[in-house]
Amino acid sequence: MYDLIVIGGGPGGYEAAAHAGRLGKRVALIEERRLGGVCLHEGCIPTKTFLKTAGLLAACRQAERYGIRVDGCRLDLAALQERKRRIVGTLERGIETLMKRSGVTVIRGRARLAGRNQVRVNGATEEARNILLATGSRPLVPSVEGITLNRVFDSSAILELEETPRRLAILGSDYIGLEFAGFFAAAGTEVTVLDASAEVRASADRDVARRLEEALRRQGVRFELSTRVTRIEGGAVHYEGPAGPAAFSEVDAVLNVTGRAPRLEDLGLEETGVDFDGRGIRTSELGKTNVPGIWACGDVTGRMLLAHAAAREGIVAVNNMFGIRDRVRYEAIPVVVYTHPEAVSVGRTEQELERQGIAYRKAMVPMAAAGRFLIEQEGGAGFVKALVDARYGHVLGVHALGDGASEFIFAAAWMIEMEMRAAEVRELVFPHPTVSEALKEAVLAAGRE
Amino acid sequence: MATPVEMPRPGITVEECLLVKWRVSKGEPVAAGQVIAEIETDKAGFEVEAPVDGVVLETFFAEGELVPVFTNICVIGQPGEDAGPFRPRRAAPAAEVAPKEAEVSRVQPAPDVAARTAGPEPAGEAAFSPRARRFAGERGFFPQGVRGSGPGGRVLEEDLRRLYFAAPRTSPVARELIASGFVAPAEGSGVNRLVRAADLAEPPLKLAGVREIIARRMRESLATTAQYTLDASADATGLLALRRRLKQAGVDININDLVMFCVVRALVEMPELNAEFIDGRIYRRRSIHLGFACDTPRGLIVPVIKDSQDLTLEELATRAHLLAEQAVSGAIAPDDITGATFTVSNLGSFGIESFTPILNPPQVALLGVNAIQLKPVRRNGAVEFVEHIGLSLTLDHQVIDGALGARFLGRLREKIEGVEALAGPPA
Repeated sequence: MYDLIVIGGGPGGYEAAAHAGRLGKRVALIEERRLGGVCLHEGCIPTKTFLKTAGLLAACRQAERYGIRVDGCRLDLAALQERKRRIVGTLERGIETLMKRSGVTVIRGRARLAGRNQVRVNGATEEARNILLATGSRPLVPSVEGITLNRVFDSSAILELEETPRRLAILGSDYIGLEFAGFFAAAGTEVTVLDASAEVRASADRDVARRLEEALRRQGVRFELSTRVTRIEGGAVHYEGPAGPAAFSEVDAVLNVTGRAPRLEDLGLEETGVDFDGRGIRTSELGKTNVPGIWACGDVTGRMLLAHAAAREGIVAVNNMFGIRDRVRYEAIPVVVYTHPEAVSVGRTEQELERQGIAYRKAMVPMAAAGRFLIEQEGGAGFVKALVDARYGHVLGVHALGDGASEFIFAAAWMIEMEMRAAEVRELVFPHPTVSEALKEAVLAAGRE
Repeated sequence: MATPVEMPRPGITVEECLLVKWRVSKGEPVAAGQVIAEIETDKAGFEVEAPVDGVVLETFFAEGELVPVFTNICVIGQPGEDAGPFRPRRAAPAAEVAPKEAEVSRVQPAPDVAARTAGPEPAGEAAFSPRARRFAGERGFFPQGVRGSGPGGRVLEEDLRRLYFAAPRTSPVARELIASGFVAPAEGSGVNRLVRAADLAEPPLKLAGVREIIARRMRESLATTAQYTLDASADATGLLALRRRLKQAGVDININDLVMFCVVRALVEMPELNAEFIDGRIYRRRSIHLGFACDTPRGLIVPVIKDSQDLTLEELATRAHLLAEQAVSGAIAPDDITGATFTVSNLGSFGIESFTPILNPPQVALLGVNAIQLKPVRRNGAVEFVEHIGLSLTLDHQVIDGALGARFLGRLREKIEGVEALAGPPA
């Protein structure tokens, strides 16, 4: 009898397993494929490897701006793939070591619930006082004619390309779509992003979304928004746009990133009575499902499809199952889009505040308010928007665009967690010169309004 | 001329120093520049030098005491000069100090110095060590009623540090809300149990006006009487028939008016219940001042129909309706809500089947009127369903026993069941 069986070895599952192991519990982690999940193998880590290279490519092309002459610079995709595999391999071994050091038994196989306290795996039944479902998500395949053609890739398959396409259609403008758009544009591909929404879906903040779209357009990415893709045929993506039917032709690759679906099938949810719908398994902010002893975290819950949210949810679930009071505070989980420029968000948006009837003050400060940003980003643009409560002055939301923002957005999350006001933020010392100074300026400006 | 020597201020944040050692004693000659005492702050030790030549006329503090800065610690002068005028307030002659605890209690800074310190200090509680005081001042953290682990309960920095990091803390916004009356839970939902705005409960509402009066009277009622309730019911056939006829005739008399009229008639026959119990004496009242509970926007108000025994049914109803209107609109005269000798409270219109009315002392009885309901009744060997009105009579057992109360209810039942005859021919 285990204290905990975790099903799924992604960031939600392995962090939870390690945490329970460190608490001295008997823990098993069941993973069908490789430890690390989508994050390590098909998501966060490989895409950031690609984007680092894209950023360097862009920097090389603009090297004269920084006083360097570079003759000839082009992408070596094979070398990049090799680097990606090396990094993924290193991190995967790290997770294996973590499991070993935390005393977690890793079982390779496909798991299925066989009851409240039972899991079937590899023909055997394992028993546990608690079961944490962390099976993650997979790319959603929309019902579009031609979507199954062999030059239509999902976000996992496109990471294995040996050559960059000449013309690429990206179906979907959320953060995954835009990160790939940025990478392939930098690699010299003609990229068109199509989406049914009127604005890119990469940021909850409309100013950030609009300015990110502009920035990507300047990098050569075309956007066909408010469109509905009707079919993919003969190397063309046909769609209905605001101006009627149109096509993006001579396409040699299509990337489908329209959305993600929770991995729910064949888990035994119906038999055990676990409550779920198309979005995922329903959980409380303690990580509980409706069935005592069965918990869930990460993408499979459909709450926030982010690795760090999954990890937090998993740890919170473990704490609660072993009597340590804890819960996920969703209002302070940061969201980062690793495009160039980076787009970050934490806390509430203006639209949410208006809907909730909360009076707020806002300030938008250009990133260039921080001298370091001028040094780092020749010709770069960006801003930090801070939203503070009109009555009490505490930070409610921070949304920003600009490279470097991903490394300091946690500070804004902390301000929200601690309900800090501009008065308290003024007492914090931000190192100079750093891009993070723009965050401080924005919060102080919003506090002064 | 005598010269006082002050406790110096070795740093701008220093408020007091520990007098570690006297290098000289009373009566000893000293030279200007000679070290006369060793002192210590949180951070370092210092020496105090004599400012002038002379003799130590008096020392005001003992070794080991904490002395506020700029306080005279001794006086140097010529033999025979008076040191008294330089004695700091509340500092006893050093020689009298013996037990250590006494020293601690005396280490209150002089008032002028207290005004300069960083924050409030728990008066009359165990003293804080200099380091504890600094820790508290830097964080604005002054816990009440702390007994420290130092000698004599002295609060050390370590004690404060433990308390500070164990206590649930509040976010800046929560702190602001708490100051405006919001109520904090023992621990919050934030990081490390931080209390956040969402964890706070609304400020408690203070009872005001009528509500406060009701609360007080109800409390007094239960505290000073021995009340109990008897439940019964009366056949309401006649009551309903009469009400129907009156309505048809366009007369504004409702069921409650009819019941009140019956109550008055019953009280006339059984005056034991029309009484007040004050300071161990029963006062039987000849006049029946009938109170009736009214639900108003300002809360429960009980208008009083004075001398109701003299009123006809129509007069009683007219008076009751006028008083009720005034009570609801707030125009009722104070005289019309005092002096009741018996009270009726009707919850029947809400469908209440029985309740325990609370007495309004010094009254000794109160009738609750309930809903009219069908009740099975055996008549001539068959069961019929007959409409009955519920009656809940609360009595003060100090004065009225159950049997008497029951008899009164029986009498009231007779009146209600015979209400058509009682009320006289319809108008």
